[in-house]
Amino acid sequence: MTNASPATEPLTPHGPAVYFDGTSSARNIVTIEAGAAGLKIMAANRHVLDEWCYAELRRQSAPDDMLRLGRSGETLLARLEVRDPALITAIEDRAVTLDRGGAAERRLRRKVVALSFAAGVSLFATAAFGVPALASRLIPFIPLSVEHKLGDAVDREIRASLDTQHLGTAFTCGNGLGEAAGRAALDKLVGELEAAAALPFALQVEVVRRAEPNAMALPGGRIYVNDGLIAQAQTPDELAGVLAHEIGHVARRDGTRTVLQTAGLSFLFGMMLGDFVGGGAVVIAARTVLKSSYSRSVETAADAYSVALMQKAGGDPHALGAILARIVSDREHGIKILLDHPETKDRIAAIDAVAVTGTTTPLLDADDWSALQQICSSQPAKGATTGAGQIK
Amino acid sequence: MTTADALNPAPSAGVVAFLGNEAAYWRLRIKGAALLVFTLGLYRFWFATDVRRFLWSNTEIGGETLEYTGLATELLGGFLLALAILVPLYTAFAVAALEFSPRAAVSIVFGLMLLAFGAEFALYRARRYRLTRTVFRGVRFDQHGSAWRYALFALLWWAVVAVTLGLAYPWAQASLQRFKMRHTSYGDLAGSFAGSGFDLFLRGVAIWLVVVAPLLIALVTLGALVDWDSLNTAMMQGDQATLTRIENGPGFHRAIGIAVIALGAAAFAAILLYPLFQAVTLRWWISGLRFGAVEVTSRLGAAQVYRVYVRFILFIVLLALCALAAAAVSLFAVTVLVGPRHDSALAELLATAITVGLYVVIALGASTIHQVVVTLALWRLGAQSAELAGAAALDCVRATGAPSSALGEGLADALGVGGI
Repeated sequence: MTNASPATEPLTPHGPAVYFDGTSSARNIVTIEAGAAGLKIMAANRHVLDEWCYAELRRQSAPDDMLRLGRSGETLLARLEVRDPALITAIEDRAVTLDRGGAAERRLRRKVVALSFAAGVSLFATAAFGVPALASRLIPFIPLSVEHKLGDAVDREIRASLDTQHLGTAFTCGNGLGEAAGRAALDKLVGELEAAAALPFALQVEVVRRAEPNAMALPGGRIYVNDGLIAQAQTPDELAGVLAHEIGHVARRDGTRTVLQTAGLSFLFGMMLGDFVGGGAVVIAARTVLKSSYSRSVETAADAYSVALMQKAGGDPHALGAILARIVSDREHGIKILLDHPETKDRIAAIDAVAVTGTTTPLLDADDWSALQQICSSQPAKGATTGAGQIK
Repeated sequence: MTTADALNPAPSAGVVAFLGNEAAYWRLRIKGAALLVFTLGLYRFWFATDVRRFLWSNTEIGGETLEYTGLATELLGGFLLALAILVPLYTAFAVAALEFSPRAAVSIVFGLMLLAFGAEFALYRARRYRLTRTVFRGVRFDQHGSAWRYALFALLWWAVVAVTLGLAYPWAQASLQRFKMRHTSYGDLAGSFAGSGFDLFLRGVAIWLVVVAPLLIALVTLGALVDWDSLNTAMMQGDQATLTRIENGPGFHRAIGIAVIALGAAAFAAILLYPLFQAVTLRWWISGLRFGAVEVTSRLGAAQVYRVYVRFILFIVLLALCALAAAAVSLFAVTVLVGPRHDSALAELLATAITVGLYVVIALGASTIHQVVVTLALWRLGAQSAELAGAAALDCVRATGAPSSALGEGLADALGVGGI
């Protein structure tokens, strides 16, 4: 800091600076005076170019050793650049808006970080609770025709990946030589359940030539039952229990629900969160945990539906638990929060808790049941006892 | 220090310099990366703003530094605006894919083209945002011109580049840079681009030959020595006998061998020559920049860029060693903690969590190292190697223009194509 005339102005700090007036790039070397109310910007001939109040001063980004000043609320980009450390101190002493040491800026940043974190937690909670709730509310507004289209699309995928044409047999059973009786028995069993369920659309149940004891429901009313599952069932009611579980998925429109939930998750985690290098892993982990949780609650609801439907149809509601215990016993391992279905012992306990106990007559008589067991007889599935089932 | 020194720290008008200190940039980057994880990425708008402030305010041209005046809240607003446009668009696409599933492939191709178009559009508009937030000597930069036209133009050029296996890249770059610079100005000083495509082609054609020639050899060999028609038919019909016959044919093993060697050679050459490619294109680009009578030239040397990449590899090796050590320690810790209780589910959960955590740390670490060791170094080299002729023209530029919206930045962010 230089004192040009210490005798006349002993108390007003002043010194050199570079001034840009904002209308042109001309570099003006000026002297500024840090007065009581503001900065006085003077040309070399002591002519006053401008006067800036302390309250309107704003710190602009600059190299470490420079104080770069602008004025707030100004469309012109007039700038003052001060490099004299003593003068910088004098100006910072007088202008509180300059936030010496950056304390106000740091406070603001802490707030931003805290709010961003809170937003992340809130989005996560929305994904965990809001998305399933919203999906349930939205399902009634989605026309069944959309669900049928979705089902057709899924069906094409499944047939393309599971088709057995290259083995010389049809994908589904019941149409081959000596399979007609089995088909009739299946239709009878499905008819009883369908009558009890009173769905707004027709079911389409097919038995598939596959060995794993499994069954699946597609959106729109298609249900595929693996041949291997029938082989594992000891009574017609066990098969009926599984069918009722799958009908539960159809009735509750779980296919559409999954599509809506996945879309909601993709939106929350794909677009709002996780947009940084390595964030993909965090997003995938979070989505896996959440999707598994959605899937578990969907399976639990379908089990409850199965119990209710079996009771309505006059079958044994405990039979689902019995076949579950047989086909998935002690084959389970893995992380609970990553499982896409509840643990089998919990499922069986839940089924037994709500199912009424009493004597029931099987839904099919012995002749029909043995015919149904022969539904894929034109080429028996091999290795029917291997593989773990899930009943999804 | 005398008054004159304080006022004129770098008196020569044509000198470009970078004042930033690498340690400060390391601190900025590491802190930002940690906060990104903590906020699941929402901090990125503030992080990007800090990074730009650092880079801009440490870049000095003729003794005066650049200034970045953008605000993080503007970027956040731009991102929300982009979401408001993209979310209905994505929804419409999802519904369309469901409605017309037989033509899903067509809608996917159309969607990808629209995304590519959107990305180029966003890049151009984002450049406009950054330029209008760049202030030098109290006067801002500006960019005009239609982003729609630029995006169309860019897509056409990239199609030509793809068809010519990259041979058209120099002309595409020259043409796109001319478009950008023709619509760029500093105050009333109009920008232009003087680099010629042919010039870049001459400098880069050797690189292209060394990388692409082995690829062509591989393709030609595979085409000539393998009977593709019968292979295709056999695959379609699952005809194992024919497949075996083809696999045992005289040409097959030789063809596969030559193809593998050629592909390996191409990949090796590409990695080895990438720094040279960077040096050539960066020098060509800087040397083509013009503002009115101001001409920029660059003396950037390939050896300087190679040094940058050697240092990068050393840092990455260091990161890999640290990650290995961390993995070993955490594995040991999990075994000690969980081992006695034989709780395999808990162990698996911990192992998964540690894997995800390590992955995030490694990915963010590698990206941070790249940003500091490569991007900052290239920024510094680019600045220091540049020299301005006719810099006197910078003394009497009149201010024009106004700040533009941050929509382009938001779109670029939402589409994942953001730059600096």
